[in-house]
Amino acid sequence: MTIREAGQSLRKKRLSAVELATAAISRIDRTNSTLQAFITVTAGYALDRARVADAELATGRDRGPLHGIPMAVKDLFATRGVRTTGGSKIFENLVPDYNSTTVERLEKAGAVLLGKLNMHELAYGITSANPHYGAVRNPWDADRSPGGSSGGSGAAVAANIVYAALGTDTGGSIRIPASFCGTVGLKPTYGRVSRHGVLPLAYTLDHVGPLTRSVHDAALVLNAIAGHDPLDESSSRHPTIDYTPDEGAEIRGLRIGFPQSFFFERLDADVESSVRGACARAESMGAIVKPIAMPDMAGINAMGRMILLAEASANMAPYLDERHRFGGDVLALLDQGRLVSAMDYINAQRLRRRARREFDKLWREVDCLLTPTTPNTAPRMGAQTVRLGGVEEDVRLATTRLVRCVNVLGLPALSLPCGLSHDGLPIGLQIIGPAFQEGLILRVGAALEAGGVGIPPCQGALG
Amino acid sequence: MKDWKAIAQGAGLEATGAELDRIVQALSGLEETLRPLLRELSPELEPDTVFHAGENGA
Repeated sequence: MTIREAGQSLRKKRLSAVELATAAISRIDRTNSTLQAFITVTAGYALDRARVADAELATGRDRGPLHGIPMAVKDLFATRGVRTTGGSKIFENLVPDYNSTTVERLEKAGAVLLGKLNMHELAYGITSANPHYGAVRNPWDADRSPGGSSGGSGAAVAANIVYAALGTDTGGSIRIPASFCGTVGLKPTYGRVSRHGVLPLAYTLDHVGPLTRSVHDAALVLNAIAGHDPLDESSSRHPTIDYTPDEGAEIRGLRIGFPQSFFFERLDADVESSVRGACARAESMGAIVKPIAMPDMAGINAMGRMILLAEASANMAPYLDERHRFGGDVLALLDQGRLVSAMDYINAQRLRRRARREFDKLWREVDCLLTPTTPNTAPRMGAQTVRLGGVEEDVRLATTRLVRCVNVLGLPALSLPCGLSHDGLPIGLQIIGPAFQEGLILRVGAALEAGGVGIPPCQGALG
Repeated sequence: MKDWKAIAQGAGLEATGAELDRIVQALSGLEETLRPLLRELSPELEPDTVFHAGENGA
């Protein structure tokens, strides 16, 4: 069931918000010992909020599409009175006295928040094998990684616990778990959604966005959280719109770029076949699929890594001497960042500006790009490398290869499921658009979804 | 190329030999990718540290 379907049931009184919340809590009770998707469950609070939601609907107060809908947020969104760990030992006792702007906006929209979702430590990695709060597992196959860093968000949505979850994306951390867990994941334009009250990883690369079960649902959540926030200096004043795609959204005549380089190199064969299939479907629906020359994407990824290393280590500087409180993989990255010089960082930011100018030219030729989200499907838990195109690659670098560049450019990108591999694992399709064109990429995603691009709901081992 | 191992030792990094090797390999790889791009930068190109996508990129 999607947010839209649950909302219809609520308004027709076939279901109550309390029943929806109770079902979600029961599902957490049954699955969390295996999935490890939640760090903190706020069951009592959620039931209280659900009762309020029911009472409001009964008296004619309808807060909109998220009214009474069970949701959850990654454990780096500040929640008043509820522990916010960032998946880290450093913040294990942090209890904020305020809500992040996004949590505030979700609550105003009537969402019922079930708790705080597990994640890669400090959002600095892609496995969500958290050494302090447990390794999140993939609902499609519990021996596989859910991806990360928003791994709990992907797992909780895919396992039908919550209808939507908030994640953050610094180098793919919404889109990677969306790809591996078979959900929709939206990384909006930098500045579109407030970062206020979100524990930062890298100031100029961090983005907030939803993971959902449908493209339409992603638009509904974006409607609730998008817009200028005076509390976030990077927040944009670019006007918001209603992001909900029209019923029967058309893509006829739309110019879709099919990258001639980089994005289709060294892919798992099933990934390549499914994504090419989605492109063919777009063409059959009237879109003009154009081969397009790409700028130096590997260079853009390198800029992103350099910026991330410097910003993350600067951000964590007060704690860098407490080495025993970090997991090994995170510590290794923080160590790398300590060695990056101011010159390295500033020059990476200069290159970034040039790359954004190059990309501005690309948007004169096409309206959006279609690419795979990840070159691989969910790796086995603990895998250090993955073999793609005959090359053994570090699993973190491979998994972020097609998504990190989008954070550097600050562009909006949507991941939606477009097929299953021969071993039954989800495959993600990425739609990248120009800045502030979330409406466009959601329309393309909704049209493809309605046109048959997608996968069946997860029926994984967890039942 | 920078001597990342010397930089790490100079910074007093408490890493084992194997950890240090991985750090050096990662940073050397990044430097190798970025170095040719840096040669193409013009002096008037300022950093993107105050960053608003789509608003000051062009």
